[in-house]
Amino acid sequence: MTKSKKIGIGISILVIAGALGYLALGNFGENLIYFYTPSEVRSLSPDYYGKKVRVGGMVVDGSLQVVPNTLRMNFELTDGAETIPVAFEGVPPDLFKEGTGAVVEGYWDSGNLFQSNMIMAKHSEDYMPIEMKRAGVELPKKDMIKTLQR
Amino acid sequence: MIIEIGYFAVIIALMVSIAGILTPLIGLKTGNPAWIRAGRQAVTANFILLSLGCGTLIYSFLSHDFSVKYVAMNSNSRLPVFYTVSALWGGHEGSLLFWAWILAAFAALAAWLHWKTHPATMPYLLIIESSLTAGFLALIVFLSSPFERVFPVPAEGMDLNPLLQDPGMVFHPPFLYLGYVGFSIPFSFALAALLSGRLGEEWIRATHRWTLFSWIMLTFGILMGGYWAYYELGWGGYWAWDPVENASFMPWLVGTAFLHSVMVQEKRKMFKVWNLFLIIVTFSLSLLGTFLVRSGILSSVHAFANDPGRGVYILIFMSTVLILSFGILIIRSNRLKGKIEMDSIVSRESAFLFNNLFFLIATATVFLGTLYPLLVDTLYGTKLTVGAPYYNKVFLPIVLVILILMGIAPMIAWRKASKENIRKNFLIPAVIAMAGAVISAILGIRQIYPLAAAAIVCFVAATIVIDLYKNSSYWASHSGTNLLRGLYNTWYHNQRRYGGVVTHVGVLVLILGIIGSSAYKLEKTVILKPGDEFTLGHYSYKFQGLQDVQGINWQGVESLFNVYEGNYFVAEMRPQKRFYTGGSQMPTTEAAIQPRHMGDLYLSMTDITQDGWITVMAFQNPLIHWIWYGGGIMGLGVVLILFKRKRRES
Repeated sequence: MTKSKKIGIGISILVIAGALGYLALGNFGENLIYFYTPSEVRSLSPDYYGKKVRVGGMVVDGSLQVVPNTLRMNFELTDGAETIPVAFEGVPPDLFKEGTGAVVEGYWDSGNLFQSNMIMAKHSEDYMPIEMKRAGVELPKKDMIKTLQR
Repeated sequence: MIIEIGYFAVIIALMVSIAGILTPLIGLKTGNPAWIRAGRQAVTANFILLSLGCGTLIYSFLSHDFSVKYVAMNSNSRLPVFYTVSALWGGHEGSLLFWAWILAAFAALAAWLHWKTHPATMPYLLIIESSLTAGFLALIVFLSSPFERVFPVPAEGMDLNPLLQDPGMVFHPPFLYLGYVGFSIPFSFALAALLSGRLGEEWIRATHRWTLFSWIMLTFGILMGGYWAYYELGWGGYWAWDPVENASFMPWLVGTAFLHSVMVQEKRKMFKVWNLFLIIVTFSLSLLGTFLVRSGILSSVHAFANDPGRGVYILIFMSTVLILSFGILIIRSNRLKGKIEMDSIVSRESAFLFNNLFFLIATATVFLGTLYPLLVDTLYGTKLTVGAPYYNKVFLPIVLVILILMGIAPMIAWRKASKENIRKNFLIPAVIAMAGAVISAILGIRQIYPLAAAAIVCFVAATIVIDLYKNSSYWASHSGTNLLRGLYNTWYHNQRRYGGVVTHVGVLVLILGIIGSSAYKLEKTVILKPGDEFTLGHYSYKFQGLQDVQGINWQGVESLFNVYEGNYFVAEMRPQKRFYTGGSQMPTTEAAIQPRHMGDLYLSMTDITQDGWITVMAFQNPLIHWIWYGGGIMGLGVVLILFKRKRRES
């Protein structure tokens, strides 16, 4: 094989790898979904309003209000220090209930309401979403385990 | 008492596996074959000891001995026998033991199968397999033993997670493990080739069947996982780019690249270092897959309690495997200068090269998305996830290009393809591809990716059909018989190639299933009271009412739907909500799935209110059956190669 052909192959590999690498890395950042605690959501800078994030905390006992015959419900999520109101529209997973841990996906709506249409499914009562293991959620987690044992 | 016997068996197995590392090593030093034979006896003994270990655990499960912690944690007395046995691999400790058992079985099998044919490889193979076994057994014995007792003895066990009480989940892990562990044999052969300096094509020929077997097991394992998620989790999909799914997908991707690139070495003696690199990566990713899923680092249905000691051990074990195997590869790679160079970029070699390139980029994409969150968390304590759109955006173009290569590579000439060769093989398929795109557009397909996919699938299918037709008519005229007989002869005279072609047809079918069920999926969530009706697509669903149902270890409520297409009654569907009566009272959603024109109508009842209103998610997944059929056809292709008959030389 001649030198020029070798260079040709080399260049075509580089071009393809580069294009795909760009494709992969180019949209990597915009597909990252950050996880926050309710306290962190409260202190989010306005730049982050409207950006898709996940929030993990305990569903406050007695806060769950289901709007009858719609897919809408409202509840509060707490990490012990701060509490945020959540407006949810959609289908909650089987294990979603008051007094247990939940991770919701959505966005912090210009200051005082978290809009969500997805609550992450838990597949077992013992299983804690990995995000819940974080400091700040650790404390309520103990209560959470108690509630799970009910 | 029984369980202690199992525990002792595993402890002895650990010692035996260490002996199994040392004796072949002495054999190599002294040149005395008796030492190497002792190494073979060690892997055989290990298989027997670990069978005993697994056996006692299964016995404890069947006799509901809840004084064994693992039994108490993963089963209860009401669990059906079938799931009681499979609870062996239902948790972290048991699944590690099960992994080690398969490893011992394969090591012993390989030692006996290749003893006569590959004597020079044997000592290295034994050392490597015994080291891997020892690595797993040490983890089991010291850090995660399924044989631990618990005191006081609980009167009743906890439940096996109800979601795992499903035939799909019973077979999913064993198939994955057969794949993962199976790759350890070509991996051992590859390292043996490097260490012994027998760097020809011998190791590749010897492990050809092991590789194919492992690959198809992994394929089935992944598909079963998808199938399970589809009908058990009730969200209407089968693949979510969940980290644990990715963990099994990565070794599959590199394994697929390896499966193809070894052919270049066999035919053209090229890609030598590359193939060694690929199999090392494949097996390392198999280990990573096992540990990612079983260590509890990832959050998912598969993950279990996380113990930092285990994490550290696993990290050390993985690094040792990586450093040693890549170290050996780097040190020995100077002996591997390929003398043969690529003749032209328009050749089969180069098609394989690009196949590999794309599979590796795909792997890197998944690797980044799966491990980046773990890295960021470790370094900065920031929690994040990578959304599914990232993967979809990168994978769609990669899959399409790989499909094009799948059409080109089997037909293009080795070395340098002439213009004539290209025109002869690809002109008609290219025209058919265009026609396919135009027809699809007329049929109403407007999105760019499904259109491109339709064209490419037509292209590949055309190359296959034309090739089969040409060869069949050649054989038919050659032996003066008909085309069907000619087709048989075509296959008979090149069973490996046409087994591969069948597998490729399976891939096409599977891809069509994926595209149909994702691009043309319909979904709707509705709230209904008895007597209500809703429509999705061409179908209307009438909610008749609720009724109670009962299973062996669960109680439930099901809703009755009558499904109509126009005035034509299609079926009755009964999505359920179940409450398991075992240790955990967790509710689960059992979707109702009605096959229809190779797709599914899918209803999942997510909520029931006290006054009889229900919330239902309805999906229509066209062509989804093709995914499962495609997997079956791929399996058939591999079986054709694995059991290929020796040709009688005339």
